[in-house]
Amino acid sequence: MLFFSYFKDMVGREVTVELKNDLAIRGTLHSVDQYLNIKLENTRVVDEDKYPHMRSVRNCFIRGSVVRYVQLPPDGVDIELLHDATRREARGG
Amino acid sequence: MSGLKFVAERTGDGAGQPFLDTDNGEELMHVQPGTAVVLGSRPPESPGTLYITSKQVVWLSDTDRSKGYAVDFLAVSLHAVSRDPEAYRDPCLYAQIDNGVEDGESEGSSDEGDVSSDLSRITELRLVPSDPNQVDTLFQIFCDCAELNPEPIEEEEEHNWIFSADQLENHEAEEDSEWMISQNSTHPIGRSNGDHDLAHNVLQLQINDQRFEDAEEMDSDSKNGHHHS
Repeated sequence: MLFFSYFKDMVGREVTVELKNDLAIRGTLHSVDQYLNIKLENTRVVDEDKYPHMRSVRNCFIRGSVVRYVQLPPDGVDIELLHDATRREARGG
Repeated sequence: MSGLKFVAERTGDGAGQPFLDTDNGEELMHVQPGTAVVLGSRPPESPGTLYITSKQVVWLSDTDRSKGYAVDFLAVSLHAVSRDPEAYRDPCLYAQIDNGVEDGESEGSSDEGDVSSDLSRITELRLVPSDPNQVDTLFQIFCDCAELNPEPIEEEEEHNWIFSADQLENHEAEEDSEWMISQNSTHPIGRSNGDHDLAHNVLQLQINDQRFEDAEEMDSDSKNGHHHS
């Protein structure tokens, strides 16, 4: 549940979601659910020429299981907080 | 995992309806008549009816009872509303399908000629309702159904991103324990002292045992002694 709450705090921020099929979509994080399904708004595909069909898309829903990486805004990452939280989670607490 | 499947059978009269796996709780969530389907870069197919169930998306041709397509929500990687006439002439719901085929895999075995295996290579799907105002409704229903279909548990251990998160956490835990071990091994003297202490304790226990036995013997001796005297 750690990353669920973490991403919930990121709602409204600009993120880039990289899928396992190499498609990278940049957009405003609209919502995230417990399965880490991600809804983005004001989206744009990073490599538009490679994915012409995605050019017209302005909002999308991405299945959590196909996400490879989520790039976060650097100022949105509190490393200390995340470090503590991951350690707590690893101890099962 | 399989991607898009061909649906050659249906139930009911007239244009009919898709078979639902009601034993496993599959329910019909939404019906959108007058919907065309576009598979990959193929031409649009219509007229047809879209059935969204709690498990899958099914499109059935209105005119040919032996023609239809279905894809499980588990295989729908992404869905989006597409309104740009340059990308497609009508507003539509765009979906990407995870067909489980690795990039390198598709080239070697593409000459099977079988309709179903051709379908399993489709990675993009467009659903075009005749009423463009329905596109947002379809988007929302797709969102709801995606949430109804999380990865199965056994899949999670291999493919799910949530597992990757767990793995990271486990890795963190492993790092912690490795750190503890390396801390110990950098102080071999301390550990060796510890071992000595342990051996010492065992020895003491044995001594204590002997003393205890002795004490018993002495006790019984003294008792005997009492009897003797």
